[in-house]
Amino acid sequence: MRVDLEDILFSRGSFSLRGSGIFGEGVHLVSGPVGSGKSTLALLLAGILLPRGGAVRRHGISSTLLLLQSPEYHITSPTVAGEVESWGLDPADLLVQADLAGRGDDDPLRLSRGELKRLILACMISRDPDLMMLDEPFTSLDCVARQEACRMIEDRRGGITIVFSHERAILPRVDAIWEMEDGVLKALGRVPHAIPGWRFAPQYLTYALEQGACPENIRLQDAREALCRIRG
Amino acid sequence: MISISGLRHRMVDIPDLTVDARHLAVIGPNGSGKTTFLSVCSGIEEPRTGTVRILGRPPSAVRTGWVGEFPDRTLLFSLVYDEIASTPRFRNRSCQETDERVRAAAALVGVSHLLDAKVSALSGGEKALVALAAAISGDPEVLILDETDSNLDARTADRIQRVVRESAASHVLWCTQSMDSAAHADHVIFMDGGVVRYCGTPDEVFSRLEDTCFYPTMWRIRR
Repeated sequence: MRVDLEDILFSRGSFSLRGSGIFGEGVHLVSGPVGSGKSTLALLLAGILLPRGGAVRRHGISSTLLLLQSPEYHITSPTVAGEVESWGLDPADLLVQADLAGRGDDDPLRLSRGELKRLILACMISRDPDLMMLDEPFTSLDCVARQEACRMIEDRRGGITIVFSHERAILPRVDAIWEMEDGVLKALGRVPHAIPGWRFAPQYLTYALEQGACPENIRLQDAREALCRIRG
Repeated sequence: MISISGLRHRMVDIPDLTVDARHLAVIGPNGSGKTTFLSVCSGIEEPRTGTVRILGRPPSAVRTGWVGEFPDRTLLFSLVYDEIASTPRFRNRSCQETDERVRAAAALVGVSHLLDAKVSALSGGEKALVALAAAISGDPEVLILDETDSNLDARTADRIQRVVRESAASHVLWCTQSMDSAAHADHVIFMDGGVVRYCGTPDEVFSRLEDTCFYPTMWRIRR
């Protein structure tokens, strides 16, 4: 299972996006400033936008889901239970999983943004798509909800998960890091080798590297463990 | 000086609070009442009961600049210049004074090169900077930022922090989900369930939050 980007070129107005690389199974983080083209890349990978040049080739992928930055855009039903059913899922089980038991009759638009993101994310993970992409899944969430989203991402078994985010405090354990800047996608490779060359790394990770530590992954706890190893 | 007594408004319940700090960070979980608190302090909403005094006056009598979380939902005009000019224009300033204020605010925020641009052509980060310039062009006594940093990358968020720090406003109230930036405030309020759970210097407040994720990552890693 993999997605190949073969010299893709996409442009809109003065903005253009280009990139090459292979997204294999596991969790990928695409980091980069706001406006660098992360959302556009997600739409290209999902096949919603088509590149002007090059190709996006999907191998062995039979299902693709994209979590939009604004979860409100996913809503198609006036009730939370109806929303879950629209994904072909059983509300009784899913609402327990999403920690929203008893909220089935609520209007999804009356949920807090954190609750709504959790609901849609739980639906997506239950559908277990081969390719799952999450566009800024952590914005507007408090740290408790961000940790919960990370846990859901880490618990996913198999498939390709691509997280597009500028988050710099609470991150999931990932397998590979990519950078996006001014429309250019750059593969940094697999973690942990990719970490020292990551320009958009969280401050705590940069600090750990400066101290001479070698974090095994990108989470705060990885940085702390690495520091403990060298400090004794 | 910000003083609040007997405030009850929607879910927010603050019996008594006095803060005499310039940079006030408001933190807490989603749904803890931070936005409601900021709405009352900015005069956008009148409290149902209780009194709020900022610089000794009710918030509606204070010149306030407000920047929200989603600038593309709050920007009103199609040109950047008109958006920044809206604050002095709404206050009936002369054309010449308006023009001077627009150019000064744009220079301070670093968006002078965008004055002739269409708002719709801006990136999310640029829209936030324009919203900040519009807030500053009114020469505010109080600046209020409601999770403005949540949709911004670190570079743009740092730039906003710097502008806000250097502004002439007597008070800056901002709510954020970035504990690392709240750690640089003069004073921190931690809200939970509509009440002020902790209030004090960053050291005082974060020492109570050390066992939670509401603790700056850089403090966690350095100590």
